[in-house]
Amino acid sequence: MNPNKFEFIKDKYDDAETSRPSLTYWQDAWRRLKKNKLSMAGLVTIGIILLLGVFGPMFTPYSYSDQVNKYKNLPPIMKLYELGGTYFYVSNDYNIFAVERNGRLIDRIDADRSRRDVINKVYVYTYQGEDVVLDFSYNLLPSKMGYDYDLTLEYRGETATQHSISRINRIFPFGTDDIGRDLMTRILYGARISLLVAFIATIVNLFIGIIYGSISGFEGGKVDEIMMRIVDIINSVPLVLYVILLMVWFRGGGLWNIIIALSSVYWVSMARLVRGQILSLKEQEFILSAKVLGVSRSRIIMKHLIPNAIGPIIVSMAMMIPSAVFTESFLSFIGLGVSAPMASWGTLANNALSGMITYPYQLFFPAMSIAFTMLAFNFIGDGLRDALDPRLRKG
Amino acid sequence: MRSYFLKRVVSMFITILLITALTFTMMHSIPGGPFTREKAVPDEILRRLNEKYNLDQPVFIQYLDYMKGLLTFDLGPSYSKIGTSVNDLIVGGFPASAKIGLLASILIIIVGIPIGVISALKQNKPIDYVVMFMATLGITVPSFVVATLIIYFFAGKLGWIPSFGITNPLGYIGPVIALSGYSLSFISRLTRSSMLEVLRQDYIRTARANGIREWSVLGKHAIKNALIPVVTYLGPMIAAILTGSFVIEKIFAIPGLGKYYVDSVNNRDYTTIMGVTVFYAVFYIVMVLLVDLAYTIIDPRIKFGSEK
Repeated sequence: MNPNKFEFIKDKYDDAETSRPSLTYWQDAWRRLKKNKLSMAGLVTIGIILLLGVFGPMFTPYSYSDQVNKYKNLPPIMKLYELGGTYFYVSNDYNIFAVERNGRLIDRIDADRSRRDVINKVYVYTYQGEDVVLDFSYNLLPSKMGYDYDLTLEYRGETATQHSISRINRIFPFGTDDIGRDLMTRILYGARISLLVAFIATIVNLFIGIIYGSISGFEGGKVDEIMMRIVDIINSVPLVLYVILLMVWFRGGGLWNIIIALSSVYWVSMARLVRGQILSLKEQEFILSAKVLGVSRSRIIMKHLIPNAIGPIIVSMAMMIPSAVFTESFLSFIGLGVSAPMASWGTLANNALSGMITYPYQLFFPAMSIAFTMLAFNFIGDGLRDALDPRLRKG
Repeated sequence: MRSYFLKRVVSMFITILLITALTFTMMHSIPGGPFTREKAVPDEILRRLNEKYNLDQPVFIQYLDYMKGLLTFDLGPSYSKIGTSVNDLIVGGFPASAKIGLLASILIIIVGIPIGVISALKQNKPIDYVVMFMATLGITVPSFVVATLIIYFFAGKLGWIPSFGITNPLGYIGPVIALSGYSLSFISRLTRSSMLEVLRQDYIRTARANGIREWSVLGKHAIKNALIPVVTYLGPMIAAILTGSFVIEKIFAIPGLGKYYVDSVNNRDYTTIMGVTVFYAVFYIVMVLLVDLAYTIIDPRIKFGSEK
């Protein structure tokens, strides 16, 4: 046999090996998560919200409790009347503000108390030594119906019936609330509180759920039976009721009370999930071999069972955070949230509710913040579920 | 079957017993009684009030009294609405909550499930994307935001529906949509994914290969099997919806049970809190039990008594 007729094929195998480097579980999951555009958008959104919540309040000139009483209920976009080179904004409660052309507030113009004609609905204000006459009787008095404008503003001999320009409020970009607090600052603080509650409650749930579920699943038998009965009992009542009861028991709000209430109740679903995972894993050979080698039970749970069940646990955790944000805003909404003047998004939405028709922006911003956060977390959760699902691992 | 049913009923009673005991102890461990006011109530009056409502007894005796009342469906007097009993509050409030809840449940079933099926059949077509986008929005936007948006646009700007109350039939539209929003979206997503799973199965391919008409394949084989996980979720959800959502009732100013509950929480009206909690819990547990029993009819494979 002539050895020259043979050739080595080793190189080809090497090529095949190097064309696809082996990936760890997390690298593989991350690779697939990166392909999911919605999840990445969600991740970026949450990152931005977190940064804004943590660092944002440092850069605003106001704190969440600062009240500027004269600037109450100012909208984010002001409709300005131009009269004699000066710009005026007339608020819904007939306060007049002098504003620069670019939308920066100069000051509130003080009303001349003695020259307020409430019956004929004409108020006279004084700005820089001259009268500003506001007549808002149109379409209000029976003799003045059918106008296509509601008020006239008179200053330095000029009269305006329509606003001339709309400008963004430079000092309060999101407007102010009913006692003159800057809404942007409050929403940034709200992000801090809402996310803090959500993250801590979720982490506590995770710990309780994992410990409870893995003990119940691993021990089996009577222990499992009793532990799962307890879970069944807790589960057979709408959980919101428990949370409300706990909040009443704590006598109302407070950040930590909400966190304790949320985290003492919502671990149940996590415990069930972990138990199910452990039950299916503990019959496998690698657990048997660990047992044969004399590994202690706690070590088997911590080192072998939980790492193998981590995929579904993480997915469920990603879904738990938005529901915690939601429950917190729900609690704040019915008046059991953080105590004033602190505010979460739910409190802000609740406060805005009474003036909703007149001041819709006060509701719009907190509502949008909640919706965006929920949306982002849901996208991340969906993406994680797809990325960590072992059935899809070939892709 | 019968032994399973008995076991469930027994565990239901144990659950109710534990819930009442827990709630009762929690209520009574709060310092200050229901008659503690900002302005101090004279001792003599306080003593008389406590005597009238049996609050001078030890907590355990009070609990026994309460349970005795519960057995005869007497939930005690309301502390903040003097002269009304908690029973009156529930009888007065529950019909409004239940009406809205029932309408919302019907809406969820007749809209959510078909939408899910259609979007599964048209997978990756524009209609599927539109439906799934709407469903994701529905899940992520909290119900109180939906409710306020409805009031703002449809009641405020357009004036199509009244902004509060349910005296006018149009008044139901807002609360029903706001209440069903989340579950409707969830159900349509669930139906879609479960339908997709079923359509991939071999027996669907076999049915098609046998030349069965597409309508039969979908109706008799696909949808029926796809609905099992949906029904699982539907049961507890309808129970939760029927008892009403606090927030929706507060926003639309509906005099339902949820509103009383929130009020009683704010007024620290302990008997009402207790009564409504027990009512909710019993209602919820009974509903879940009924749904579980209904499974045997829907899916003959499910047998009770042995857990999976």
